[in-house]
Amino acid sequence: MSATTAPAPEQTAVLPPTRWRRLRRHLAMPVVLTAVLLATYLWVGTRDLDDIERRSLNADYLLRVTKQHLTLTAVTTVLVVVIAIGGGILLTRPALRWITPIATALANVGQATPAIGLLVLLSIWLGIGFSTALIGLVAYGVLPVLRNTIVGIDQVDRHLIEAGRGIGMSPLAVLVRIELPLAVPVILAGVRTALVLAVGVATLATFINAGGLGGLIVTGIKLQRETVLVVGAVLTAVLALALDWLGGVISDLLRPRGLD
Amino acid sequence: MTDDVMIDLQQVSKIYRGQRVPAVENVSMTIRRGEIVVLVGPSGCGKTTTMKMINRLIEPSSGRILLDGSDVATLDANALRRRIGYVIQQVGLFPHMTVATNVGLVPKMLGWDRRRIDERVDELLHLVGLDPGQFRNRLPRQLSGGQQQRVGVARALAADPPVMLMDEPFGATDPLTRDRLQNEFLRLQEKLRKTIVFVTHDFDEAIKMGTRIAVLGERSRIRQFDTPERLLANPADSTVARFIGAGASLKQLNLRRVAAIDWTEVPLVRVDESPTQVLRRLDEAKQSAVLTVDGEGRPLRWVTARALEPSQVTLDGVGDPVTVVDPQATLRDALDAMLAASSGSAVVVDDRGRYRGVLTIDDLMRAIHEMRTSQRESDRPVAEATHQRSAASNGAVVSDGRGRR
Repeated sequence: MSATTAPAPEQTAVLPPTRWRRLRRHLAMPVVLTAVLLATYLWVGTRDLDDIERRSLNADYLLRVTKQHLTLTAVTTVLVVVIAIGGGILLTRPALRWITPIATALANVGQATPAIGLLVLLSIWLGIGFSTALIGLVAYGVLPVLRNTIVGIDQVDRHLIEAGRGIGMSPLAVLVRIELPLAVPVILAGVRTALVLAVGVATLATFINAGGLGGLIVTGIKLQRETVLVVGAVLTAVLALALDWLGGVISDLLRPRGLD
Repeated sequence: MTDDVMIDLQQVSKIYRGQRVPAVENVSMTIRRGEIVVLVGPSGCGKTTTMKMINRLIEPSSGRILLDGSDVATLDANALRRRIGYVIQQVGLFPHMTVATNVGLVPKMLGWDRRRIDERVDELLHLVGLDPGQFRNRLPRQLSGGQQQRVGVARALAADPPVMLMDEPFGATDPLTRDRLQNEFLRLQEKLRKTIVFVTHDFDEAIKMGTRIAVLGERSRIRQFDTPERLLANPADSTVARFIGAGASLKQLNLRRVAAIDWTEVPLVRVDESPTQVLRRLDEAKQSAVLTVDGEGRPLRWVTARALEPSQVTLDGVGDPVTVVDPQATLRDALDAMLAASSGSAVVVDDRGRYRGVLTIDDLMRAIHEMRTSQRESDRPVAEATHQRSAASNGAVVSDGRGRR
């Protein structure tokens, strides 16, 4: 500026915390979860196990059902993310706005139907097994992600979109460079919710012969084997918390700069 | 149509779907190369809609808009917008991108290589008064409101567009910052000579910024389209007069420059002279205060007889701080500066800060009195005022003496 202008009395904000400082608060959870698993292991070691219990509580079986459970959860999450984020993006385009209430209502039905009822109805229609369980879980998990995608994109300041269009960005460029990055925190919060829901609901997959940690819980209840029941419950809970933790880490890593 | 015309609105109307009353009705307007045309009117009168039809953020329902001779409806909308700078009140900097990325967006879309973009970003930040080294990698929220809008202007200028659309660009800033941004922008425009469409609801801003002002009524109908001087002197009808508001002659304070009126001379004393010199000079001039100046002739402080004590050997640091104004400042700026400093006078300094005279509140009052008298007489001030206008966009600059040492 010219020599006669008074120095600007303008202040600037302090620098934002670095990404790593943000991640520090995620350090406790893995320690706690490891401790819980270790404690459960030691507790099981102190119990006399009968044949039935030993059939469930051995490394092979536990790994197999955990893997089944994880696979079910992972595939569900991927499908939910693709369907719900894609749907959310489409439903926030001006041309498709009018469908938004209908689609949200539909997703609400999926969520409101009790999961066990949904699974059983689906299995009557489609037969039992992995893919039926998958469809049920996806129907159940779509809503939070769809809703958060719509909300996340809608909460982006209209003026930013107008500015983007005004400087000549195409609608696609505005979506990819402005709307989605700024909606990431809200969308990922929805994905996290869906992930945790999926872990919980996947325990019901055992009823339609799709495996998973639910098997341990059902065995424990039916045959009155407390140890098996507790191990199944602990593993499910630990898995849910671990995935939620992972979701938190990922969402902190992907959160765009300049927002917090 | 001549080569002189940059933007030509021909009977443009906009009717929003589901509404019977048009938002914009039959607007025709030609905007010449290099001028700032201000669209001013009450909120909701359609001035923003009118502006947005130029870069096709809103498509007109009927009529044609020619940009540099070609119908904008025939051009690719995105390509068109990259050739038109766009500044909005909310600034619209993308919060997740650095200042440099924000400014470099349009050049990037135009396919410039990285080196050229980087150089251009630095050049633009310099231009709007931000140090590139300090600001390039900042995020928008690390900037003050005024700094953000400077970056907004830099972004709009990035690909050197011949035309700029500005929608209340300084509306969200505090009055002091707004004044400074306006002055800086006028000085910038002096160099850049862009064709600018500027929307505001603030008539004082319109007078200050506009080469010509279009006062819009409902449905964006043009009530009067003229230079600020003629608008103030001859409002076309009572609606325009009401919009100009009371004291149209006082608003001419925004038009007249300090350089255009008579100043007062005061006795000067160099700061290395002795206090007794001050007393002698005061006596000779029969004035109550002298101005101390440094070796270069730059004003330092006002010294009265009372401020002097017998023990003082030098004049260094004696007296009250001065308020200084640039000869290019408007009378309004000068008055504001005096009021802000609670001082009855301001020292007029040249571009190197050297004393040229003193503008007192009495000089100002006399000028106001003359303006009011001449306005009552006739339309005579037009020619004179137009002449001053050419010096006007030089940018009015006011600061107080404390900031200068």
